[in-house]
Amino acid sequence: MKKSTNPLPDQPPRWADQLLEWFVAPHLLEYIQGDLHENFHKRVAKVGIARARREYLWAVFHCLTPFFTKRQTVKSSYSNQPSTVMLSNYLTIAFRNLWRQKAFTAINIVGLSVGLASCLLIVLYVLHELSYDSYHAHADRIYRMTMHARMDNKDINLAYSSGPAGQALLRDSPGVEAVTRLRKEGAFLVKHGQDIIKEEKIAFVDSNFFSVFTIPIVKGNPKTALVEPNTLILTKTIAHKYFGTQDPIGQSLSLGNLGLFRVTGVCEDVPSNTHFHYDMFGSFESVKTGNKWLASGAYTYVRLREGHSLAQVETISRGFVSKYIAPEIKEFFGMEFTEFQKKGNRFGFQFQPITDIHLHSDLDDELEANSDAKYVYIFSAIAFFILLLACINFTNLSTAGSASRSKEVGIRKVLGSVRTQLVSQFLTESVLLTFFALVLALVLVFLLLPSFNVLSGKQFTVSDLVNGRLLMGAVVCSLVIGLLAGSYPAFVLASFKPITVLKGKLQIGGRSGWLRNALVTTQFVVSIGMIVATIVANRQIQFMQNKKVGFDREQVLVLHDTHVLGTKAEAFKVELAKLSSVVKVASAGFLPAGHTSQSVDGIQFRDGTRTGNHRTKGYYIDEDYLLTLGIDLAQGRNFSKAFSTENSSVLLNEAAVRTYGFKNPIGQQISTVGDGSEGSKHTYTVVGVVKDFHFESMHQHIAPLVIFYGKDNDQLALRIQTNDIPRLLQKIEQQWKATTDNPFAYSFLNERFSKMYQSEQHISQLFAVFAGLAVLIACLGLFGLAAFTTHQRTKEIGVRKVLGSSVTGIVTLLLTDYLKLILVATLIASPIAGYTMSQWLRDFAYRIDLPWWAFALAGVLATVVAALTVSYLAIKAALVNPVKSLKAE
Amino acid sequence: MPDHFMRKTILGELEELVLLVVAACNEDVYGIPVMEELQQQTGRDFTISAVHTTLYRLEEKGFLSSSVGGATAERGGRRKRLFALTAAGGEVLLEIQQTRTRLWQSIPQAKLELMGLSANPF
Repeated sequence: MKKSTNPLPDQPPRWADQLLEWFVAPHLLEYIQGDLHENFHKRVAKVGIARARREYLWAVFHCLTPFFTKRQTVKSSYSNQPSTVMLSNYLTIAFRNLWRQKAFTAINIVGLSVGLASCLLIVLYVLHELSYDSYHAHADRIYRMTMHARMDNKDINLAYSSGPAGQALLRDSPGVEAVTRLRKEGAFLVKHGQDIIKEEKIAFVDSNFFSVFTIPIVKGNPKTALVEPNTLILTKTIAHKYFGTQDPIGQSLSLGNLGLFRVTGVCEDVPSNTHFHYDMFGSFESVKTGNKWLASGAYTYVRLREGHSLAQVETISRGFVSKYIAPEIKEFFGMEFTEFQKKGNRFGFQFQPITDIHLHSDLDDELEANSDAKYVYIFSAIAFFILLLACINFTNLSTAGSASRSKEVGIRKVLGSVRTQLVSQFLTESVLLTFFALVLALVLVFLLLPSFNVLSGKQFTVSDLVNGRLLMGAVVCSLVIGLLAGSYPAFVLASFKPITVLKGKLQIGGRSGWLRNALVTTQFVVSIGMIVATIVANRQIQFMQNKKVGFDREQVLVLHDTHVLGTKAEAFKVELAKLSSVVKVASAGFLPAGHTSQSVDGIQFRDGTRTGNHRTKGYYIDEDYLLTLGIDLAQGRNFSKAFSTENSSVLLNEAAVRTYGFKNPIGQQISTVGDGSEGSKHTYTVVGVVKDFHFESMHQHIAPLVIFYGKDNDQLALRIQTNDIPRLLQKIEQQWKATTDNPFAYSFLNERFSKMYQSEQHISQLFAVFAGLAVLIACLGLFGLAAFTTHQRTKEIGVRKVLGSSVTGIVTLLLTDYLKLILVATLIASPIAGYTMSQWLRDFAYRIDLPWWAFALAGVLATVVAALTVSYLAIKAALVNPVKSLKAE
Repeated sequence: MPDHFMRKTILGELEELVLLVVAACNEDVYGIPVMEELQQQTGRDFTISAVHTTLYRLEEKGFLSSSVGGATAERGGRRKRLFALTAAGGEVLLEIQQTRTRLWQSIPQAKLELMGLSANPF
C-alpha cells in the first residue's frame, strides 16, 4: 500500500501516466501503456532514471494523436436497419410512455404550451410593432423632415416642418427624389345628402402622396386624382360607407366649411402598421397653406435618390435657416437674426427614417400617439423569460420523471441498447411532447386572440398567426426547445450504469439536485419579480386615478362640437340650464382631460423692478367654468359678468404665481407678447389665483397657467346631478336635435380622465397576466419537483413515522426545503425588480414611493402558492401507512 | 473482397518494414521487440506510438492478426498485444518482393557497373 502513495524512484512520472490514461482510448490503453513501461525500465537500466523519465514523457506526448484518442465505436447490430423502423419504434415507445405517465405528461404539456402561447402572442405583437411603415417601396430612403427650435429657453420639437421647406429641399438638394406633404385640419362634419357625419380621419396631401407611400389606388388615376383643389380620395371602407355599391368616382361630399369635394379615387385601407390612419385624403390645394416659413406647417416626407446620403441633405437644410428663416425673424420678432441667436434662440431641421417614427419619435403634434421602443424591449424580455421558465420546467420535470425510468434504461442497456439509441429515444419523447404543446399553444392563442387584441390595442386575426413565417418559426423553435430541453435528461439517463440501476440505486438524486433547485429558484425569481412589477404598476395607476386633481371630475358631462351651434349656442345653454338635473353649464373648449383646445403665449411679467419672459400655457374660460368643474380659488375673485373690464382681467394658477415670483399676485400686471409687434401686445391685470389643478397628465409637473376671459364654444361642460343619466341624455339630445341637424356626441369627464392613463393600464394588465402565467409555470415546475423528491423519500417518511413523527412534522419537513428556495428567490428578485420599477416610476412627475411591502407581499404570495402546490403532495406522502412504504421493494 | 484486398495492398515504407520485422521474428511479437528490431536494422529511431499505430493499421488491413499475451512485472501487470503474420500478409510481402525483383532485373547491368555499384543482389 505504501508503494503507491510513495512511488519507487524508478517509476515513470505519475502525471504523464495519468495524462495517458485520460486521453488514450480504453481499448488501446493497456497495451501501449504496458509497452511504454517496459521500455521505460529498459531505458532506466541503460541511460539512467532522469533521461528515461524525459524519454517517457516524450513518448507519451507522441501518443497524443487522433488514432489513440479516438474511442471505439460499438457497432450496433441494428444499425443496418432502415432508420424509419427505429424511428417508428421510438415513436411507439414515446407514445406509450407519455400515456402511462398521464399526470406528468399533462403538467409538462400544459406548462410548455402556456409558455409557448404567451410567447407567440408577444412575438405577434412585437413583430407588428417593428413592421411599422416598412412595407412602403424604398422605405429605407423615406424620411420625415421635422422642425426643431429653441425660443425663450424652451425647446420646441415639432413633428412637422415649415410649409415651404419641402419644396425648397426639392429645389436645392440634388439628392432628393420626391417630397410629399400632408396637412391635418382636425375633424370635419361631412355632409352627404341629408346625412351629416363627423369624420376625424381626414388629411390633405400632395398629389404624389400615393407614389411615395405604397397604398394602392384601386380606382381613379393615381397621378392626377389629387392635382386639382377640392378633389378627394377615399379608402375602400369609407367609400362603401357613403356610397355602398355605387361607383364613388365623380360623386361629391361636403366637408365642413371647405365646401364640396369631388371623389376622384379610391385607395386600399391604410394598413394598421402605418404611423397615420386616414380615411379620406383631400388634395393639398384645397387648404390654405401660407408661404411663410414661420407661419405655416405641413408634415413633410422626402424620398432620397438611391445612393445619396442623408448627410448631404441635412447640410443643405442647415443652410435654410439663414437663407429663408432669417428674413422672417425680422418680420415676426422685430429683431435681427444675429440678435435672435444671441438670446439663445435657434432653428433647425431634422430627418427621421419613417420606419423609426412609430417606435422612436415623440415630438409635439405627432399624427398619432406613437408607441415606445421601451415596451417592445419589455415585452421581448417577458417573452424570453416566460419561454425560459417553460423550458426550465420542461427540463426539470423530464429529469425528475426519468428517475422512474432508470430500471428501463438498465434493462435496455443489458439487452444491448447503445447510447445513441437511448438518447434518440428520450429526445424523440421530448420533441414529441413539445409538438403536442405547440398544437395546444396554437389552440390557446386562437382562443385568446380576441382578449389579447383588447389588451394590446391591436387587431390580429388568425391569418396573421398562420402566415408562413411565424408558424415555421414556431415549429423550428419547438424543435429546438424539444432538443435542448430534452438533451439534459436524455444524456443523464443514457449514462446510467446498468448494474447500479438494476440494483435499485438511483444515481440521479444528489448530483443534479442543486441544478434542479437552481432552476426552480430562477423560476421563482422571475415570478416574484413580475408580481412586484404588477403591484407597483397597479399602485401607481391607482395613485394617479385617486390623486386629488384639483377639479371634480365626477358628474361632469361634456358635449362635443358645440361650435356648430354658432349663434344659437347661448340660447341652447340657457335651455340646458333650465333642466332640473343640470346644475351649471360652461363653455369648455379647454378641458384638463381628453380633447382640448391648446394655447401658448409668451408672457411678460413685471414684479417691482424685475421683469421676465415665460412661455405659458393659456386657458380661455367663461365665468361659469370654475364652478362647473369645481376648481377652487386660492385668492382674489372669479371672472364675472358684473365687471366690464373682464377682457383685460386674468387668473393665474399657483404654479404661475410661483414661476413669476409674485408675492402679492392680485393686481399685478402681465402682458402677452403676441407675434412680437407692439399692436399684438396686450396687458392684463391679475384678479384671482386658482388652486393648482392637473390640466396635463401626471407625467408632467403642474405647469404655470394663465386663464383668460373668453368663450371657447368648441365643447360645453355640464355639471349634472342625477341618478338617471340615460334620461338626462335623452332630454339633452332632443334639445340638440331641435337646434341643429349635426350629430350629437358627448363624453363624461371621469371617463376622459381614465383614458389618459390607458397605456399605463394596459401595461399593468399585461404585467398581471404574464405574472400569473409565470407563477403558474413555476408552480407546475415545483409540483413536478416535489412529486419526484417525495417519491424518493418514501422510505425515509416511513421510518420517521414508525419512530413516532407526526403528520404535521413530516409535512413541515417537506415544505421547508421549498420555502428556503422561495426565500432565496425573493432575496434575489427584490433588488432587480426594485431597480427596474424605480426606473419606470421616473417617467411620472407625480409618483408613489416604491412600496416596500410589495416585495414582502410578492414573497408571501409566492410562498402561499408554492405551499399549496407542495402541501398536497406532502400531506399525501405523510398520510401513507408506513407499512406500505417500507414494504415496497 | 478482392476489391477490398487490392486497395489495401499499397503499403507505406514503415508498414512494409514493420510487416517484414513481424515476419522475421520467432518470439512473441509486440510493440517493444518490433521497435528494437527496427532500430537495429535501420539505425533510425522509432517511437512506440508510431510502431503501435502501424501494427494496428496492418491488422486492420488484414495482414496481421493479434492476440492478447501475458503480463510481466515491469509492465505493471499489463498484458501484451501479440501480432502474427496472416496468409494475406505473407502474400503481400511476396508480391512486393516479386515486383522489386522484376524492376531490378530491368536495370541494365552495365549502367550499375558504370556507377561502381555491384551486380544484381538477387
